[in-house]
Amino acid sequence: MKDVLSLALVHLATAVRERITLFWFLIFPVFMLVILSLIFGQIGQEGEISFDITLINRDETGGFSDMIVTLFEKLAEPQANGQEPLFSLYVPNAGEDTDTFLIQEKAALRRGKRAAVVVVPSGFGETLAGGMATGRQDTASATITIYMSHTSVASEMATEIIEQMLAEVDRELLIEAGAFDPADEIAAQTIWLGKQGEETRYVDFLLPGIILMGFFTNGLFGVPGAILFNRDQRILRRYWVTPLSVPRFLAGFALGHLALCAVQFAILFSLGRYGFGATVSFLRPAAWLTLILSAVTFMAFGFLIASLARTANAGMAVANILNMPMMFLSGLFFPIAGLPPFLMAIVYANPVSYLANGLRVSLGVESSTMRPVLAIAVPLAWIAVSVLVAARRLRWDVER
Amino acid sequence: MADTVLLQVIDLVKHYGDVRAVDGISFEVDTASVFTLLGPNGAGKTTTLEILEGIRHPDSGEIVVFGDRMNRIGRAVKQRIGVLLQDGGFEPYLKVREILRLFASFFDHPLPVDTILSLVALEDKAGALVRTLSGGQKQRLAVGTALINDPALIFLDEPTTGLDPQARRNMWSIVTDLKETGKTIVLTTHYMEEAEALSDFVCIMDHGTTIAQGTPEQLTQAFGEETMIEFRGDELSEDAIEPLRAWSDGVRVDGATITLSISNLPAAMESLLAWSRERAVPLDDLTVRQPNLEDVFLSLTGRRLRE
Amino acid sequence: MGCGTMSAFRSLLVAEARILSRDRMALFFTLAFPLIFILIFGFLVGDFGAVSQSRIGLHVASGVDRSVLDASIASAGSIVVESFESLDAMENAVTDRQVDFALGWNGSTLSFHYDANRVQENYAFQQLAAGIASDFNLRRQQATPAMSVEPIDIGDVAPTGWFNIVLPGILAFSVLSSGLFAVSGHLTAMKARKVLDRMVVTPMPPVALLAAIVVVRLALGYVSTLVTLLVGVWAFGLQYNVSWLRFTVFIGCSTVGTMGIGTIIALVVRQPSSASSIANALAMVMLFLAGIYFPIEFMPGFLRAIGNALPLTHMAKAMRYATGVIDMAETEFWAITLAFLAIAVVLFPVLARYVVRPLRR
Repeated sequence: MKDVLSLALVHLATAVRERITLFWFLIFPVFMLVILSLIFGQIGQEGEISFDITLINRDETGGFSDMIVTLFEKLAEPQANGQEPLFSLYVPNAGEDTDTFLIQEKAALRRGKRAAVVVVPSGFGETLAGGMATGRQDTASATITIYMSHTSVASEMATEIIEQMLAEVDRELLIEAGAFDPADEIAAQTIWLGKQGEETRYVDFLLPGIILMGFFTNGLFGVPGAILFNRDQRILRRYWVTPLSVPRFLAGFALGHLALCAVQFAILFSLGRYGFGATVSFLRPAAWLTLILSAVTFMAFGFLIASLARTANAGMAVANILNMPMMFLSGLFFPIAGLPPFLMAIVYANPVSYLANGLRVSLGVESSTMRPVLAIAVPLAWIAVSVLVAARRLRWDVER
Repeated sequence: MADTVLLQVIDLVKHYGDVRAVDGISFEVDTASVFTLLGPNGAGKTTTLEILEGIRHPDSGEIVVFGDRMNRIGRAVKQRIGVLLQDGGFEPYLKVREILRLFASFFDHPLPVDTILSLVALEDKAGALVRTLSGGQKQRLAVGTALINDPALIFLDEPTTGLDPQARRNMWSIVTDLKETGKTIVLTTHYMEEAEALSDFVCIMDHGTTIAQGTPEQLTQAFGEETMIEFRGDELSEDAIEPLRAWSDGVRVDGATITLSISNLPAAMESLLAWSRERAVPLDDLTVRQPNLEDVFLSLTGRRLRE
Repeated sequence: MGCGTMSAFRSLLVAEARILSRDRMALFFTLAFPLIFILIFGFLVGDFGAVSQSRIGLHVASGVDRSVLDASIASAGSIVVESFESLDAMENAVTDRQVDFALGWNGSTLSFHYDANRVQENYAFQQLAAGIASDFNLRRQQATPAMSVEPIDIGDVAPTGWFNIVLPGILAFSVLSSGLFAVSGHLTAMKARKVLDRMVVTPMPPVALLAAIVVVRLALGYVSTLVTLLVGVWAFGLQYNVSWLRFTVFIGCSTVGTMGIGTIIALVVRQPSSASSIANALAMVMLFLAGIYFPIEFMPGFLRAIGNALPLTHMAKAMRYATGVIDMAETEFWAITLAFLAIAVVLFPVLARYVVRPLRR
């Protein structure tokens, strides 16, 4: 027993001290968690996204056009809490020719320097004021133009936001003009279907995925790396002249590896919970079991790779090739609906697909898309295959 | 078998396809002695040792160790032996103390780590990472792992290959110290000086078999009462050397080194001086010495120990 | 270059090609990675952020007038509507993901039902729903909008999806990693194989060796980017308007430029195997921060600042311009291209000495 424990401790110590291992098993998942949370967690929320918008007001008649300009300016003001304003506004200088300015700004838009160019047409204020009375509008002078570029996602988003903004303004105008009765407005009710009855937070969706990714990288790269390196450097050979047997060595190795996974989990979970406000609770038994199953499956997979590769370099190359397809063709980060059959086949063969879905279902952040039996059977099958192949093919000493 | 024999090897054979790495080798090792397998590279020394260490299995033959007869070495024997491999690595990111503790955990009755540290003189490196150690220090660490279970029988495979002279001498004193404490040591080497300095008994191997066995003295006595005269003579033709054959028992030309084997030293010296005056050959690096194992091996095989 | 140098160069070329064919890291990242990546992503991700064709469920309580609602839904764009007899059946369809979200209308309340767990997609669904709701309200009261808003798309290229924009970024990444690994990978291979050691005893000019390395890596870079581009066009019908002059020149300059950057890494780190791993790690981090998958605008301020400082970000922009996906100031493109060339030229002597030094022991 003490040999198993010693080996486990040694495995842990090495992983922590070897800077490159530390990077892949710890720093990289943390990095991913932080980046993805910051980016995707922000969509739909204000404060972190900022767009460069050009606003050209061609109208001299004031009134409604001024109102629109004021609205934009308000959104471009520096915010009290120090966050960036939604817009950075670009307007023509006093007396500058708006036609020239427009051409210049459209060129800037094409080059990605602006997200949108908004033009309030001449006569806008007057037309709207007049239209309030008659209630009928369809003319060019009542149309605000937004120049955008489909080649920029930022441009598409900014356009959407501005359209929404102006729709709100329009509604207010109609209410003011008496053309729209807010009391008669049908309220839109939002209903979230899911365990908690409210929208799942992005970080609750992301965190299990990152944890699984951490286990996966650890197993895919860490295991073959350690085994093959130790074998090729003749480190293992020194063990085999002692009474230490291969099964005990494996037990120690596995224990160390699982301890590493536990460390990964602890750090990622703490960061997710206390850094990004994740509410997911891993205390449920189904979640624990899935985590353990995942750690073991990926470790076994690592042994499979180690037994199929002749040298450490070859092993790392195989791991690199498998890394992306297995991670992305699994529903871990991207939804997998609508894939062509040959890619779907990979999804169904991929143990990550089942473990990812299983983990999220057990945490209540996803509905089950795989049959529950398969969610356990497929990873177990992979473990069995890996163990069988490794038992036959994994060499524990270099050839002489 | 005598009570003093700790290890006996009987007709050990190991083939790799057509290659006969070990071709029927037999010997006995006495307790508290240093037994050396001497031979050039490829002689089968390491393979023999690996069989005795239990990491290779012989095709045929028997081993008697610690009083038990067996076909291959198992885990029970491994508990009681110490092994220094010819090549082997350590985890670069572990500390010396951690390595020793790890190896200690493999045995039922390990010595305290501090004892081993002082035995191999690595106390001040106890907390150092393996990757910061020099070659000699790594070798001492390896010896430490070989001694962690206080073994009665120790195998050292080429223990000083690649070491500088100082480190080599350190290793030699470790070996003799171990023998003083009653341990039995089987070592392999292709260095003649090492075999002569350390061994109680030498087994000379070539091409997988034994070609001579005995104490260093017994082996060199094959040369009888011979003395060796050696000197450096560059570019001497066969003509020039011919006269030397007349009054010496053997003449060996090895590159620039001429070695003469003679029985009457004073007479030979006179003849040699006359020859040198006649041919105007300066007798550079003139040495008079006893025959050594290199001479033995050369006379048996016609080849040098060190290629 | 003299005769001797030329023949040295030729044999070095062959040797270097052989070394490269054994450098699995470099081969993987330059050839396999981009291909695998685009194949997976091409199928995996449709339009990012936008909703191309949504499927929504609809349940109208019996006896309630639905004409206005139908009109609003129809005006919202390409939507496929599936009607349900009961609210429960409809909600099941949402959680089973048969529909993206659903509407319930009972004459007094308009309810939108979402799967709480479709975290990445709900934002877009909610946008769509908001549009339907506001159009519905206006239509009900027969109020026409006081003003209208007209988006005009002035993007030059034929409309294709987000993936069209991503692919040149991937090409840029593959050039980057090829360049980064060139030096460290080369040295690792050399140490293992000693292929070039035999040549060192000849009076071989370092220029020839360096030229050989550069030529082979350049060839690899061109082949891989072209192949990836072609696969994108053939497999996914992506459309590009490649300016071959800009494309060729840029790949040439950025390859040698990134080799220069790789030299810096190798010099700082010293051990070739660690240099390789560090280059790998850096490349991965850059991949996410350089705005290749998602626009830099979406990142918080400080990350955006980091992103804009990365060479990969500018490489991606230049590649997009050279393949006709975005528009860019011509001067900016050439500034980027020449910057890479400048890095290579400045580091040329350092590179030569560093690469050849371990040979001459």
